[in-house]
Amino acid sequence: MAGRESGYAYLTLLPVLLIMAAFSLYPIGYALYLSLHREVLTDPLNNPYVGFQNFSNALHSYYLTSSLVSTAAFMAMAVPSVMIFGLLAALLLNEAFAGARILRVAILLPWAMPAVVSGIVWRWMLNGDYGILNSALFQLGIIHDYIPWLSQPALARVGLAVAHVWREGPLAAIFFLAGLQTISPDLYSAAAVDGAGRVAAFRRITMPLLRPTIVIVLIYETIVAATTFDLVYVMTGGGPADATSLISWYAYAEVFKFLDLGTGAALAFLIALVLLAVIILYLRVLRSEERR
Amino acid sequence: MLVFILGPILWMLDSSFQGETELLTRPSHLLPQQPTIANFNYIFTGAVPQGLNVRGTLRSRISQEAREVPAALENSAIIALTVALVNVALGALAAYTFARLKFRGKSLVFNFLLGTRLLPAIAVAIPYYAIVSALGLLDSYLGLILVYLTFSLPFTIWFLRDYIISLPIDIEEAAQIDGCSRLQLLLRIVLPLAAPGLAAAGAFAFMSSYNEFLFALLLTQTISSQTLPVILSSVATNPDASLALIATSVVLAMVPPLLFAIAFQRFLTRGLVAALGKG
Repeated sequence: MAGRESGYAYLTLLPVLLIMAAFSLYPIGYALYLSLHREVLTDPLNNPYVGFQNFSNALHSYYLTSSLVSTAAFMAMAVPSVMIFGLLAALLLNEAFAGARILRVAILLPWAMPAVVSGIVWRWMLNGDYGILNSALFQLGIIHDYIPWLSQPALARVGLAVAHVWREGPLAAIFFLAGLQTISPDLYSAAAVDGAGRVAAFRRITMPLLRPTIVIVLIYETIVAATTFDLVYVMTGGGPADATSLISWYAYAEVFKFLDLGTGAALAFLIALVLLAVIILYLRVLRSEERR
Repeated sequence: MLVFILGPILWMLDSSFQGETELLTRPSHLLPQQPTIANFNYIFTGAVPQGLNVRGTLRSRISQEAREVPAALENSAIIALTVALVNVALGALAAYTFARLKFRGKSLVFNFLLGTRLLPAIAVAIPYYAIVSALGLLDSYLGLILVYLTFSLPFTIWFLRDYIISLPIDIEEAAQIDGCSRLQLLLRIVLPLAAPGLAAAGAFAFMSSYNEFLFALLLTQTISSQTLPVILSSVATNPDASLALIATSVVLAMVPPLLFAIAFQRFLTRGLVAALGKG
């Protein structure tokens, strides 16, 4: 009986395992091979073993430093905004009011469409010559000249961050809402009986009980912001002056524009290692929060 | 908040009904003064919108790529639907095994499957390209379908395994005593009970495949397999592109995921929350 059972088990797992093994073990091996060899597509026949040369090239590249600065600047704006937006939206959605049902469906929409689409939507809204944002601000008398949002380095980063918040903020709100809904309403009525105001209830009840969710969403959104690619591709192409050339965009450009597979693979490994460290931290936090 | 969330979507819809000349005015028209379906008409039939005809200088602003939107829509739909179906079929088969059977190497295999998702997309881009190219599947549906399966299967299996574990086991045990095989148990008893979970997993796989961009960009070359995000990005990053046609293409691209999101709202929300817990 047991023998037949495990036969069935292996048979049902076989198709999945074959696909997954082919697309995980082989890529790691191949990427490792590439990263240790000189692989430049413009010079295809000359690929000697070069040791850690590619890693050293990637680490010492001027573009790496500049893309790390861009990524950090982008994350510094995007991650806190996503968190605050998500929390506020979730608190709002948790209240029973007439529009709550509509809002609960609407909030899924930005996340549901391709990132490429949100990039194009915001590129059009922020268009320097005919964008609706300029038009609105101008007519309200807030600005006196149209602003080329995506052509100035600092503003382009802000624009990218706004588009990112539009997409990720609602998602964070859904996570926070799920967290809020696990908090028993009795706690709030008890606090109200004791004379606690709404602010006190938020600080003493909501925040401590929501803490695990906040930590998890924070780490998740950090990873998402750090690997932003689609938005950059359609909104700014990494420009102006590399201001929005985030790390994933740089890794992409290294491989598919400069055609240097070796350095690209080395860079990919470095990014993977850093992300892996964050993910392991994430899993640890997740486990310790579950135990609390 | 509703304005921030829905405003951009509505403005895009609004833009798609304006002519090119009307879009290129300052200040922007909040509502189309001469609403037109010419943009949609161009994409589906190739009839050049009037706004672009009248002004000779705007002639070059026609984006040929926009005419490929319907074909790309079809490619995306076929690929995403196939991924969703195969995903649920293979995923349910494996998830049931993980949920109810005992066998050697179970936790090793399960952790391996989940572990594969720790590889960031950009890190495996070149090797994926190499595999798909070696299989002769560049620029084909099958190439993208395989890649998207590897992205979504681990999540589906994990999600469905938890779903099946949460189902009562009594009926299965009774049926087993009556002589049902494992496969019969799965097909006749577990799958009908797990239908909401299957729907959620399928919807998830559909959305993630429909929306994926990086690998679609790398693994496709012609309109015979290019998906919507790829075509949209080429419509939009063409500096000469007609804004009205961009808006119209985007509106068309939004339709399937929006319908999906509205139809599957409950499942998606639950799935998302579960996904976060997994990491």
